Amino acid sequence: MTLLSIRDLCVDYLAQDRTVRAVDRFSLDIPKGESFGIVGESGSGKSTLILALMGLLSKRKALVTGSALLDGADLIAMSEDERRAVRWKKMSIVFQNAMNSFSPVHRIGKMMQDIYFAHCPDSAKAERRTRMEELLGLVGLPPRVCDLYPHELSGGMMQRVNIALSLMFNPELLIMDEATTALDVVTQTQILKEIAQLEEKLDITRVMVTHDISVVASSCENVVVMYAGRCLEVGSVKTVLTKPAHPYTKGLIGGFPAEDEEGSDEEKRPLTSIPGTLPDLGAVPAGCIFEPRCDQSADACKSASVNLASLDDGRKVRCRRYGG
Amino acid sequence: MGIFISRRILTAILCIFAALCLNFIIIHAAPGDPVRILVGQDNPSPEVIEALTIKYGLDQPQYVQFFRYVGNLLRGDMGTSIYTGEPVSLMILRRMGPTALLALTAAVLAMVIGTAFGIFSGRRVGSKVDSAIGSISYLFDAMPGFWLGLMLILIFASSLHILPTAGMVDVRADHEGFLRALDILRHMALPVTTLTLTLIPYYMRISRAAVVQALGEDFITTLRAAGMPESKIYRTYVFRNAILPTITVFGIQMAYLVTGSAIVEIVFSWPGMGSFVMTAISRRDYPLLMGIYFILSISVAVMMIAVDLLYSAMDPRIRHTGVKE
Repeated sequence: MTLLSIRDLCVDYLAQDRTVRAVDRFSLDIPKGESFGIVGESGSGKSTLILALMGLLSKRKALVTGSALLDGADLIAMSEDERRAVRWKKMSIVFQNAMNSFSPVHRIGKMMQDIYFAHCPDSAKAERRTRMEELLGLVGLPPRVCDLYPHELSGGMMQRVNIALSLMFNPELLIMDEATTALDVVTQTQILKEIAQLEEKLDITRVMVTHDISVVASSCENVVVMYAGRCLEVGSVKTVLTKPAHPYTKGLIGGFPAEDEEGSDEEKRPLTSIPGTLPDLGAVPAGCIFEPRCDQSADACKSASVNLASLDDGRKVRCRRYGG
Repeated sequence: MGIFISRRILTAILCIFAALCLNFIIIHAAPGDPVRILVGQDNPSPEVIEALTIKYGLDQPQYVQFFRYVGNLLRGDMGTSIYTGEPVSLMILRRMGPTALLALTAAVLAMVIGTAFGIFSGRRVGSKVDSAIGSISYLFDAMPGFWLGLMLILIFASSLHILPTAGMVDVRADHEGFLRALDILRHMALPVTTLTLTLIPYYMRISRAAVVQALGEDFITTLRAAGMPESKIYRTYVFRNAILPTITVFGIQMAYLVTGSAIVEIVFSWPGMGSFVMTAISRRDYPLLMGIYFILSISVAVMMIAVDLLYSAMDPRIRHTGVKE
């Protein structure tokens, strides 16, 4: 069953004299219960996509078109009031900057309870307090954290607080926008493991936005590779990350140290990087968007636009060589 | 917290002493001589000049004068005015009240009104209302206080005759009790308005910038994403974070106001410290000047400590840096 169905989502940032298309005709189906990873380098439009889904882009600065159906309700078309009801109850988000995502001059419990109150104005004070302590317990934090200020906690603890906050109303969809990027590897592994357990327990579908392929490889079932606001390759983690089809996916994987799998005693391969930088989204080339940086580009790539093509193993690739 | 306060008080005392030394050097290094001013321009006799110079101890080397002054100060004696012969402490005490009344009222009013406009404007940043308020604030910012004061006198006192032009009380009426307070209030209206109008732009810009900055913080995005209504976000979270810089500005402004209102005080003949300082300077009244600046540096120091305490009460991040376990 599909939980979130994104169709032809476009986001145009409105600059003074031009518009920049940060997300271009993006379509994606996220099945219920299957965690999804969104990977891409900085500036590939991952966060813009998420902000558009959450309705957090200012109407004066960005134009969002297309549709995104969450349980049949269109997130893009709905009014601000409807959206406020969906936020946190059906979908919640954990941001990257854990240290700054709580007001520095308020106690942690205060902000959490205010958010609870915004959705349940009839709740009693004691009820709110109990729920906060329960949530903190879920992520392994003592109840006294309620009475602390953000600067009194470490980055890892603050990220746990953020995760606790996002679980407040048992959302169906949990988006983690680079949520573990700022943490050290040990804490990151620990938190990822806990999230996986919570997911099982609370029946949550997780979307993991990151530029770190290893995070996706270790914690997600499906992955979509984004580049310049477009989906280049989408499929299960197993097929996409072990046998990448798109040259960009290959490049991304080449930039990461190999995971130590059992029986792979092969020589350590050297890390490679993709030459060049992201294209100027204000002046997009006619052909394949990745063509200028691609090591397998041909003349045909320069002129004709490329569409997503389905492969036999269930994945979709946007590359001419696969019939796109 | 106790350590924090005692450390602040200690540094304040050091600062006051440093200010005292500097004041002494600057005041005595300035050209002019109180005795010369005292005896007048018309052929003063050398004997009188010498007698007065010895009487006020001005014949002694400067360092002796300095240590004598500090010694007296430590015993609580601020000396007597060279010009009037009155004790300096009494003269200052008489003048402090009116200035405090004027400066505090204006500063509080300016802070409240300026911050309100700043928050209003910051919330609508980039809109037409925002730029309109901005332009008006620059207009008032560019007006010199004395000119604004004179214009207000021209309109409200000279033409409309609703408010008095000068002074703090109506000397002919000799009111008592409540009527006297009302009379002072009437006299305060114009100078307070002048000072407030010139101060508002400052608070406005600070709080507007603070609101804009607070709005860009990540926790605002968190709150929005969590479905909190905008009004609540502003009322609780933006406001509380944006008010912090205003407190600092208030402290600095207050300290500055005590002397900075001098010109407005002179325009409205307000019997406060500002005009008093001017007269003391022109008379080279050394003990009086030293006394005034001594009291001013104490009030600045006290104000700064008060602001620090207030700030630490408002911002938990500051509160905890003072005491390390």
